Amino acid sequence: METTQQTESKIIELKPFTDEMVVNMGPQHPSTHGVLRLELRLDGEVVREAIPHIGYLHRCFEKHSENLSYPQIIPFTDRMDYVAAMNQNWGFCLAVEKLMAADESKDFAIPERAEYLRVLICELNRIASHLLSFGTYGMDIGAFTPFLYAFRDRERLLLLFEKICGARLTYNYIRIGGVSEIIPMEPGSIDEQNYLDEIESFLDYFEPKIDEYNDLLTSNSIFSERTMGVAVMSAEMALSYGATGPNIRGSGVDWDLRRDEPYSIYDRFDFDVPVAKDIPELGAVVGDCWSRYKVRMDEMKESVRIVRQILAEGLPDGPVMADLKAVRPPKGEIYFRSEAPRGELGFYIVSDGTPKPVRLKGRSPCFSALSALQELSRGLMVADIIAIIGSIDIVMGEVDR
Amino acid sequence: MPEIFSEGFFPKINLQEGTNWATDFVRDVIIPRLPEAVAGHFPMELGTVLVMLAFAGIFVAVVPLLPLVLVLAERKVAARFQNRTGPMRVGPWGTLQTLADGIKLIFKEDYIPPQGDKLLFLLAPYIIFACSFAVFAAIPFGDGIPIPSDFNIGIFYIMAISSVIVMGVIMAGWSSNSKWSLLGSLRSAAQIVSYEIPLGLSILTVVMLVESLGMRDIVNSQSGGIFTWLIFRTPFTFIAFFIFFISSIAEVNRTPFDLPEAESEIVAGFHTEYSGMRFALFFIAEYANMFAVSAIGVTLFLGGWQGVLPGYDFLGGFPGFVIKTLGLVFMMMWLRWTLPRLRVDQLMNLCWKYFIPISFFNILGTGIWGLIFEKDDVWSIGISCAIIYVGLIGAYTVAGRNLVRKPEPQPS
Amino acid sequence: MDKYIRNIYKGVYTVLVGMRVTIRQFFEPNVTHQYPYQHDFEKKQNVREIPKGYRGQLYNRIEDCIGCKKCELICPVDCITITGDKLPKGEQLWDSMNVVHLKDGREVIGIIEGDDKKIMSEDSMTITNITTRLGSQEVIDRLEASGDESRTETFSTEEVSRVVTRNPVVFYLDQFDIDMSLCMYCGLCTEVCPTQCLVMKDSLEGIEYSSFDRTDLIFNFDKQEMYDKDEAENTEAAD
Repeated sequence: METTQQTESKIIELKPFTDEMVVNMGPQHPSTHGVLRLELRLDGEVVREAIPHIGYLHRCFEKHSENLSYPQIIPFTDRMDYVAAMNQNWGFCLAVEKLMAADESKDFAIPERAEYLRVLICELNRIASHLLSFGTYGMDIGAFTPFLYAFRDRERLLLLFEKICGARLTYNYIRIGGVSEIIPMEPGSIDEQNYLDEIESFLDYFEPKIDEYNDLLTSNSIFSERTMGVAVMSAEMALSYGATGPNIRGSGVDWDLRRDEPYSIYDRFDFDVPVAKDIPELGAVVGDCWSRYKVRMDEMKESVRIVRQILAEGLPDGPVMADLKAVRPPKGEIYFRSEAPRGELGFYIVSDGTPKPVRLKGRSPCFSALSALQELSRGLMVADIIAIIGSIDIVMGEVDR
Repeated sequence: MPEIFSEGFFPKINLQEGTNWATDFVRDVIIPRLPEAVAGHFPMELGTVLVMLAFAGIFVAVVPLLPLVLVLAERKVAARFQNRTGPMRVGPWGTLQTLADGIKLIFKEDYIPPQGDKLLFLLAPYIIFACSFAVFAAIPFGDGIPIPSDFNIGIFYIMAISSVIVMGVIMAGWSSNSKWSLLGSLRSAAQIVSYEIPLGLSILTVVMLVESLGMRDIVNSQSGGIFTWLIFRTPFTFIAFFIFFISSIAEVNRTPFDLPEAESEIVAGFHTEYSGMRFALFFIAEYANMFAVSAIGVTLFLGGWQGVLPGYDFLGGFPGFVIKTLGLVFMMMWLRWTLPRLRVDQLMNLCWKYFIPISFFNILGTGIWGLIFEKDDVWSIGISCAIIYVGLIGAYTVAGRNLVRKPEPQPS
Repeated sequence: MDKYIRNIYKGVYTVLVGMRVTIRQFFEPNVTHQYPYQHDFEKKQNVREIPKGYRGQLYNRIEDCIGCKKCELICPVDCITITGDKLPKGEQLWDSMNVVHLKDGREVIGIIEGDDKKIMSEDSMTITNITTRLGSQEVIDRLEASGDESRTETFSTEEVSRVVTRNPVVFYLDQFDIDMSLCMYCGLCTEVCPTQCLVMKDSLEGIEYSSFDRTDLIFNFDKQEMYDKDEAENTEAAD
């Protein structure tokens, strides 16, 4: 009797019980581009939900700015998107200049030479930013070598920035009313000629490199398997989430502030806006990771084109700084947006006529793009999450501010 | 005399009398040097075992030096691919860097996750380490160099031993009590089990041609210069070599198949929680494995210790074997520093939809080839080389016509 | 079937193309420097690797400083601390003096004969009443050895890099501290400086000044010996 019971109790019922696994990806993770934390709910390798948690790099930029004068805020905009700091400087300065232009009594115009320098440097900075994006995306997908190639070329750009503004990453170069004169460069001097020659030699070196990178990574079949058709962001979705810049162009929306709402002197240059298209023979779908990535690769070529046009024209003579006694915008408010490498960078400034803003709000392109991650990632695999984060190209400094 | 020294206490090790090098060694080298009184009673079996143990000891002492060199080589090669110098600080041109790393790892804290399974956690690195070293036992390094166990089922033994590694990986992943480790180990299990099949099938083509499982027999059958190497023997072994090579990259978990330790996805995979010397064991095992699979590839397809020309020792002998092996290792590094990583489902696709059907096709083809041609027929080699040549040229022209078109969409 | 073969083909082909790219780089020269050991990266192909005007460590030439506190005001992170005392009305520490910076790095402080605005266009400049308290030790030693009462020296204009005019000093600078651990290297303070005495070092030493102790990064630039009041009165009496 006993023995039968024992044998019966030994019968094991095979009832596989599977459960969701909750995994924290980040804030310390090799490929979350900073301190992004993703709460992944996994079913094996399949992601049921990825919830981004942000705020690990929050530095109170907006509140801090209320206690600083306008020129003092510029170094802090460097620290928002530290990969494309020139463009952040410019976005802020454009907003302040627009606000100051509302005051009829103060008549100032940005000198021509400063405008040219701004476009020149910011387009080079756009190349540097997209290079970093390309490199880190390669590393996310698993290829380490493109990362170092990108850094090798970016280093040459950083040396160029270093020569004109004295810093490698946080430039504080573009100022309200012009550009910094911290390293003087006389119009028509030998210094200027050397500098422009150096840019030209960089472009000559760099343009074939883009094709090389396309050979190495873009057209690689493993890379295209990993990215094509993955995480398709439709045009409607991109618009509803407020994705901008290369992300929305990767979704097939033909929108670029430099062309559609030209600020500064962008209307004088001839450039194309690369927009993703369906490529059936390769398998690329509009809005997938590959399209977003490819738009960046094509944009580098367009930036090279713009810089070449400036080099052909040469920098105009004149001062680089408008004659501003003090930066004291009139009472009022302004929202101004510009096209940073990661998308539409907007600044909303409320001024009460004092040298300090009453309220400052930064509209970060990465933040909007990151919010689409949750919807994009549903039903994909862990490896695809990495591919999405890389393809929307976030910089956590700008997301958290 | 105690019973232990009596004849017949030890089971017979020799499979064929006179072919075992260890017995030969005892008979020809040791016994003549012994005093006459002892020599007559010297137990051959015990002597054979002792000699084998002694040579195994030499291997265990020498083989760990391989990863030491290979890790440095990997870092230097990677640095060259990326226009860097690699490690330069420790020793001249950084040559002692891996030694320094090893010393650092020995002195690091050996952390055991308190919530994990302690026994499995401690055991896992040793299983992986032991298995990857056991593979070296059957690799024929050279004609004159005795290998510790020269048995007639060499390649079968290697396949068996190397698939035990997956046990260690699963143990490591499970016992770490970390979700990343678990993901990594499960990926690894699926990957290694799947890629065993194309690996085994491509080895099978070689075995079909040679009609032996012994490593020494396989090498001996390739003695007639470069065109008798098994890779050129039939067009099917040519394809089989590449399948073998790619599958073996997957077996040793290297890019583009490094999913179990994909750094950018699951931190470090199954060895995330390991530190100190246990981590070093994983590391050493990985590089030893890499060398081992390359050596197997050379043995099976690239002539082993046989030279390029019959009768000449160019690329032959022990140095030739090592050079060829390092060539394959370099190819692995080259691929690693060029390619991105596959996704799990794509990895499986590649294996089940591409490699396995092609491998079966290879086996079929090799069988038909064996029916048509006599073994070691000069004509068969000539025809095979001609087919490979025509195939490559044809592929190149087709590529020129169809595929060279760059996958470049025109910017709008 | 066509797609199947095409896929295999595409895979092999693109892998080979990628491998061609990397093997080309295999034979390219290095782009990296062995940084702490290899210092010749400072000069490469006659191009200065640390460019002129690089924003490195802050340095204040206190001899030129007029204590206007503009830098303290503009600093976004408040890393500059200046405290000073004003003298009672009518008193002054120094007369108006010129700080002459020579090209070899020496400084001579005294009064330039003639109009100091136009002096750079002339061939040579004569400096009288050179102070013995500050400036180049070599010049001071020579003057003291000669026993020349008027303490006069003549320099060729080619030797001189720039001349700064110091107004009569009516204050002490008790403290001029820069906390480099707070500094964000924006360079705003160097731009507002009216005498260009606050500069950022654009040399290697402006980059390599790391320290194990945070307090070591607070640099004091005040020189109390400048304001030695007794000696200042003596100097005035001698004049």
